[in-house]
Amino acid sequence: MIYIFDGAMGTMLHNAGLPTGACPESWNIENPAAITQIHKSYIDNGADIIETNTFGANRIKLSHYGLQEEVSSLNIAAVNAARAACNPNTKVAGSVGPTGKLIAPLGDLTFDHAYEVFLEQITALHQAGVDMILIETIIDIQEMRAALLAAKAVTNKPIICQMSFEADGRTVTGTDPVTAAIILEAMGADIIGANCSLGPAQLLTIVEKLASATKCPISIQPNAGMPKLINNQTIFPMSADEMGTWAVKLAQAGARYIGGCCGTTPNHIKAIKEAIKNLTLPALPPLPQLHKTTALTSRSKTIYLGASYPTTIIGERINPTGRKQLAADIKAGEFMSVKKEALEQLRAGAQILDVNMGVPGINQAAAMQQAIEELSMLVDAPLVIDTTDSAALEAGLKAYPGRALINSVSAEPERLEAFLPLAKKYGAAILCLPIAPGGVPSTATERLHIIRQIIEAALCAGLRPQDFVLDALVLTAAADAKAGAEVLTTLKLYREQLGYPTTMGLSNVSFGLPRRDIINATFCAMAIASGLDAPILNPYDPLMQDTLAASAALLGYDANGRSFSMQYAPNNSPVETRSTEEPKDIVSQIRRTVLSGEKEAIIPLVEQALRDGISSITITEEGLTLAMNEVGIAFGSGRCFLPQVLLSAETMRAAFITIKKILPAHTVTSLGTVVLATVKGDIHDLGKNIVAALLENSGFTVIDLGKDVSTETIVEAAAIHKADIIGLCALMTTTMTQIDLTITALKTAGSTAKVLVGGAVLTPEYAVQAGADAYAQNGVEAVQVAKNLL
Amino acid sequence: MPIYNPALKPLSINEIKRYSGLDKYADFPSHLLDQACTESYILAQPQATWQIYDYDTNKATIMGPHPLTLQAPKIIHYLSQAVQIAVIALTIGPKLEEQVSEYFSKGEYTSGLLLDAAGTTAVEVAADQVCELIKKQASQQGYLTLPRFSPGYGQWDITVQPSILDLANAHEIDLIATESCMLLPRKSITAVIGFTANQCDALICYSYQDTTCPQCPQINCLARKD
Repeated sequence: MIYIFDGAMGTMLHNAGLPTGACPESWNIENPAAITQIHKSYIDNGADIIETNTFGANRIKLSHYGLQEEVSSLNIAAVNAARAACNPNTKVAGSVGPTGKLIAPLGDLTFDHAYEVFLEQITALHQAGVDMILIETIIDIQEMRAALLAAKAVTNKPIICQMSFEADGRTVTGTDPVTAAIILEAMGADIIGANCSLGPAQLLTIVEKLASATKCPISIQPNAGMPKLINNQTIFPMSADEMGTWAVKLAQAGARYIGGCCGTTPNHIKAIKEAIKNLTLPALPPLPQLHKTTALTSRSKTIYLGASYPTTIIGERINPTGRKQLAADIKAGEFMSVKKEALEQLRAGAQILDVNMGVPGINQAAAMQQAIEELSMLVDAPLVIDTTDSAALEAGLKAYPGRALINSVSAEPERLEAFLPLAKKYGAAILCLPIAPGGVPSTATERLHIIRQIIEAALCAGLRPQDFVLDALVLTAAADAKAGAEVLTTLKLYREQLGYPTTMGLSNVSFGLPRRDIINATFCAMAIASGLDAPILNPYDPLMQDTLAASAALLGYDANGRSFSMQYAPNNSPVETRSTEEPKDIVSQIRRTVLSGEKEAIIPLVEQALRDGISSITITEEGLTLAMNEVGIAFGSGRCFLPQVLLSAETMRAAFITIKKILPAHTVTSLGTVVLATVKGDIHDLGKNIVAALLENSGFTVIDLGKDVSTETIVEAAAIHKADIIGLCALMTTTMTQIDLTITALKTAGSTAKVLVGGAVLTPEYAVQAGADAYAQNGVEAVQVAKNLL
Repeated sequence: MPIYNPALKPLSINEIKRYSGLDKYADFPSHLLDQACTESYILAQPQATWQIYDYDTNKATIMGPHPLTLQAPKIIHYLSQAVQIAVIALTIGPKLEEQVSEYFSKGEYTSGLLLDAAGTTAVEVAADQVCELIKKQASQQGYLTLPRFSPGYGQWDITVQPSILDLANAHEIDLIATESCMLLPRKSITAVIGFTANQCDALICYSYQDTTCPQCPQINCLARKD
């Protein structure tokens, strides 16, 4: 059976005389007869379900018209106007559209505020007697989650969730149909679909993808083609007959609710009805690979866990336990190190990230919310919320725009009671940990028994078979000789008797033993062969990386070992880029090291040279300075580039610091004092900083006054420091004239220092006109020009 | 329009190289570039806001609450077929530039330069993401959109920045202009996007080309594309 929705409301309202700029929902009260007439025309032309004129009847949208206090009355009036048009078999769907704002951290609307806004509207629709709730045209999965949660809180009536996708197959905030379907089905949506934004041709693929990912019926309401602007009017060009033709294809792809969105009319609905009237639909193909498979998602990515999929690595490093710096950062509300760990673990091969905010003495709920918000903006890997604190769990689940894994749910009554309802409410998967009151089970059989208890309780709480990941419970081999073997047996039992995906915190096994990396990697290989699907581990461990790569090749997840070969074949070892011709004398080696910018390598060389009795002056002049001169020449001829120049300068600086450390009395004769400044009004200082770095490392004494420096300060500093050169920088046309003013002021004050100018907008001609002594177009040239000036 | 904080899409290492003045093929330690890229993801906090206004082509005026009449010939020509204008303000916040300063003060010049370049890349990537969203929204009403055009392009004087920020409601993202019309935080951008009813003609496209690197008088610019 295919149910037919109605078509566009806005188009019909304007045709009925709604003034441009007026609130469409205001007619529910002011002109209900017109609303009823529109509904009736859709019903007369075949609509089985009509949508209330309440798309924008939420508090935020209505506030644009000063109607924010009329949410209830406008929604109730809309339902009454719809009901007045109905036949006995017609159903009324309460339309709930977006707020028009994005939820934090994508925007500035809080999740709780969005939830309250939807709750208010959906309560009114429910109480007014709609048959179902239709949440539609949503572009942000977080907004859909807030609306769906609100709907579930209000009513047991069917809830339809329709997202709007773009031509690239994703919502504008990045969610693909498969990911959306997995998130929404897990949260309890009854019907999942798409509307608006695209025409039926573009939505056909979306229907196919939805059908591949969910058992829920699919609804689809396309626009009447892609819009065109004709005579300043937005026109949707698709004819009713064309829409009918496409409706057949949409139905064959899996759609069971079909209607129209922008630009569609009663004629389009009539054509759809006619086209599918005698359609015999083939049974939908069974969902592939979803049996005993658990999907986790971020906002934009889905990862399946299970025996049919390659081993998935869950990175364990976002965990403050035993890590003082990370714990201190989290405690300080500073999440830079958390973000860094996330990026680096993904780079090292993790596909899912475990997030633990277990720092004693902090508000873990606030920390978890912030961590989840920050990470969901940074990475597309699904997240595991790892906590024993139910408030922190709810904060994390609420903030997460995806389907998370809860780590963990044991068979302890208080944990089952607190965590299972949250998993159900937010559509999360659960990591089942075989621990029960009375202690830690030591045998595989006991673990299986406890896991069965957890699954039974979870199913009773409304969770589904695709919501489970089973932990094998890794104990320490050093304390229990059978610990490792028992885990392997547990994994086999799980696979044979339950079949759900498996995981475990792998590195516990090696606690207290030397060379933990060997134990961990070996254990990992054994566990994968015994049925481990998603180990929780340290992805930085090179031995573990090798083991995982080899395991993938051996278990057939790396066809013909191709990836393994590419990574490990001898001819792919890193190419040695350094010259093999090492200079014999150490001063030449110092020179070469500065040239190649090897900061770490210069320190032992300088130390060795001083031990060998080479004077600091010789090191400076024949090693360091000579090298920097060569770098300057190479830069001038285009053979090397600014970052390489700066690497050499850093290397030279490291050499100077080393000399000074060993010979505190060592002094280098300054080539002269340069007072540097970015002129008043200009806040750009990158170029000036580069000039300062290069001058300093070329033997000048640099007095850096910073950016946005007043003329008076520059004149005063020039006198105080007896400047030989004054370097002035301006980046923008709006501040360039400050160069002239400063030079004039310097001359008026009697300064005899040479003035060197530069900056993006300056030219040699401008420098002359402003009265400068010299111009340099970049930092390297500035060094040479400064030397020439003196 | 609401505040939109785009989640940064991947940054191009080649763009970071370009903004730092490094030749694409130069032999340079890749870990330093990776580090700059990673730090940029961590430190950049993209925030954007924009408003859409009618555009009076006859008066070259953006019809905001405080109408802005454009003066520079190239932007006027560029928008000569626009019927609406999106005025955009975007920043990645101050944290990244603070870290750049920190690097220079510690003598880690290269890291400072590369992070600055990664920050510039991040601003451009975030701006492209915002423009993509605006383009999609405009297309739903049948409009086509022109590439973004910023103060400073094609002799459009940056003294217009305060007016552009006002039109974009940039105070909502704490983006301001200094007295000398520079944006604070520095790693920020303002721009306009013209909405047209039809594909713009070749002359308009040419006028946009006229604002790109090969036409720019800043011939010594590190990031110049030739």
